[in-house]
Amino acid sequence: MATDTRVILICSGKGGVGKTTLTANLGISLARQGLTTAVLDADFGLRNLDLLLGLENRIVYTAQEVLEEECRLDQALVKHKQESNLSLLPAGNPRMLDWLKPDDMKRIVDMLKEQFNYVLIDCPAGVEDGFKNAMAASQEAIVVTNPEVSAVRDADRVIGLLNTNSIKPVQLVLNRVRPKMMANQEMLSIEDVTDILALPLLGLVLEDEQVIVSTNRGEPLTLNSVNSPAAKCYLNIAKRLQGENIPLIDPLEESSGFGAKFRRLMQTKIF
Amino acid sequence: MNSNNQKIIINIDDRNYTNWKIDLKNKLKTLRSNNLEIDSKNIDLSCKDISEIIEIANHYDSKIIGFCSSSPKTIVSSQSLGYKSQFIIENSSQNTSEINKKNLTFAKTHFHQGTVRSGEYLESPGNLLILGDVNPGAKVSAEGNIIIWGKLLGIAHAGTNGNSKATISALQLRPVQLRIAKKIARGPKDKPKFGHAEQAKIDSEEIIISPLFTTQVDD
Repeated sequence: MATDTRVILICSGKGGVGKTTLTANLGISLARQGLTTAVLDADFGLRNLDLLLGLENRIVYTAQEVLEEECRLDQALVKHKQESNLSLLPAGNPRMLDWLKPDDMKRIVDMLKEQFNYVLIDCPAGVEDGFKNAMAASQEAIVVTNPEVSAVRDADRVIGLLNTNSIKPVQLVLNRVRPKMMANQEMLSIEDVTDILALPLLGLVLEDEQVIVSTNRGEPLTLNSVNSPAAKCYLNIAKRLQGENIPLIDPLEESSGFGAKFRRLMQTKIF
Repeated sequence: MNSNNQKIIINIDDRNYTNWKIDLKNKLKTLRSNNLEIDSKNIDLSCKDISEIIEIANHYDSKIIGFCSSSPKTIVSSQSLGYKSQFIIENSSQNTSEINKKNLTFAKTHFHQGTVRSGEYLESPGNLLILGDVNPGAKVSAEGNIIIWGKLLGIAHAGTNGNSKATISALQLRPVQLRIAKKIARGPKDKPKFGHAEQAKIDSEEIIISPLFTTQVDD
C-alpha cells in the first residue's frame, strides 16, 4: 500500500493543448520507472484517454459503476497491455455530470490512493464543474500550455483558480514548442510564457508529428519510439517529477544546432 | 467592510508594549465578539505581537477576523499570518493632509500582494496598491489611484467615480486598455524601456503616459 501517493491534476483551461497526451505519456513513463500509476479520466463529457492508451475495447466498468457501488474498484481498473504498472480508471457516462459532486471525485481518488504511487487526473477543458470536480480531488497540478496567446491566457485563469484552492505545487509544461519558429520570433518565447504565468517550468515538449501517429494507433509515444523528440521530453518530465535534476533543452540551441549541422552537411557535399 | 464589525483601537501614547496589552485586555473583557477588527493605528506589530493578540482574544472568547493599521509592518505581519488586513493612510499628520488637499481623497488604500491573473477582478473604493503583476485578461479598478509594483498588462480603471485627477502607475505600463474617470485609451504597442516606471494621467482631455518621477507625483 502506497502511503505517500501523489495526486496530480493535469489541466490547461483551453482544449487541445495536449492534456490527455501528456497524461498518457507521463503515465507510461512513470510506470516504466517501476512506479504504480493510475490515470483517471475526469473528462466525462468527452472522454478519450482510453483511446490514446489503446484500452477502449477492454473497458467493462467505469468510474460511474464504482461510485454507484455496482462494482469494486479493481474491476473497473483497466491494466495496460504492456505496462502492468499502469492502470486506467475510465470516465463514465456523460450523464454523470448531472449528479457528480466534488466529494464523489474525492471518494474515487481516495480509493486509488490506497493502491498506487501516482494518480494522474486528466482534467476536462474549461473552468466549469468538470474542472472544479477534478480540482477538488487533487493535491498538486501540472498546467499544460502552448506557446500561443490564447492558451497562455486560459492557463493563467486556471492557475488563478488553482491558487485560490491552495493546490501546490503548480508546475508548467510548455507543449508543442517549435524551435525554429521560436528562433525566428514567430512564436511566443519561453520567457514570454513564464513571465506571464510565473510558474516553475517542469518541461518543454517539442512539436512532433509522431504524436499524431501514436495517438491514432493508441500507443503512447513513450511506449516504443524512444527516439522521437517528444518522447524524450515526456520521459524527462517524468524524471523531473521524481526529483531528478535534468536540464531543460534550449529550443534556440536546438534550432541553431540543426541549422549549423545542415549547413555543414551542404558544404561538405558541394566541395 | 461590514458595518457590524466591532473595531477595537489600540491606542498608546508612550509606545509601551505592556501598556497596550493591558489596554487590549480591558477592552476585550467587556466585548466578547466573534467579529473583531483590530485597528492598531501607527503601531508596528510583529508576527509575534499579533499571535499574542490572537491568544489574548481567544482567552476572552473573542475572535479576530482582521487588522487595519497605518503601519506597513503591521499589515505585512498580519497578512503573513493569514488575516484580512487593510492598510490605512493616516490623515492626522501634517504631511499627508498636505497631499490630501493637492491630490485625492486618500481615504483607504487596498493592498494586494500577488499576481492578478486572467479573469480576476480587483476593485477598491479607495486607492489600490498591488505588489505583483496584473496579467492580460485581468481587470483592476479603484476610485482613487492605482499603483502597481509590477507589470500592468490587463485593464486598469482609476477614478471610477469620475475623478479625472486619478493616476495609474506601474513599473511596466503595457495594458490592454487604460481608463481614467470616463476616458478610455488603448495601451501602447511598443516595448517599454527597461527600468522606467511610468504613470498614466489625464492631460488636456487625453490619457497620456509619461515616465514616473517621484518629484512630479504631486503636480
